[in-house]
Amino acid sequence: MPDQEKLVIMVTHGPEEPELATIPFVMAGAAVASDVDVVMGFQGDGCRLVQKGVAETVTAPEFAPLAGLLDAVREFGGTLLVCAPCVKSRGIEEELVDGAEICAAARFVAEITSATSTLVY
Amino acid sequence: MTTMLSEADLAALTADTVVDARGAACPGPLLEAKKAMGTIAVGNLLELWSTDAQTKVDVQAWAGKVGHEFLGHVSADGYERVFVRRAK
Repeated sequence: MPDQEKLVIMVTHGPEEPELATIPFVMAGAAVASDVDVVMGFQGDGCRLVQKGVAETVTAPEFAPLAGLLDAVREFGGTLLVCAPCVKSRGIEEELVDGAEICAAARFVAEITSATSTLVY
Repeated sequence: MTTMLSEADLAALTADTVVDARGAACPGPLLEAKKAMGTIAVGNLLELWSTDAQTKVDVQAWAGKVGHEFLGHVSADGYERVFVRRAK
């Protein structure tokens, strides 16, 4: 096993499903707090969670507000990768939060195959 | 590492830093603990206050994973006081 653990979290649910949108950020927050490298990959409607202003609108009952979790993931060095065609089809390429990086399939594959664990939501 | 102290021993401790994470949902208290650990010296004691019932379990797991010393928790008035010593 590599010395440094890496967790990739794929996010496919958007703001219309606040619980499934929030849980991956909860896991990411716990992981960065535990000194695990975190890469979050946003595909489909999941990419809307890193559109500026959207995270602030998402709160699931009994969960921490998504915006604060997104801030924590970024503060502790988490990587945010966003599917290129997903953001293009939604016309939000220029509206992503600071730190979000648009990429294509091969980058996701490289991150996943080099990770110690991957979660898909 | 876990070194469980008795409630009486825990209640008698004086923490170097107290973090009030009451009202924060998971993983908020854990993130607050992580931030605070970065501000105290190795060997110093962190006391974390939380109203999230799972925090004491979560922090014990976290401390074991990252290498800090979990000392235990005591109940206060509507919240838990969780004690962790920075070990690295």
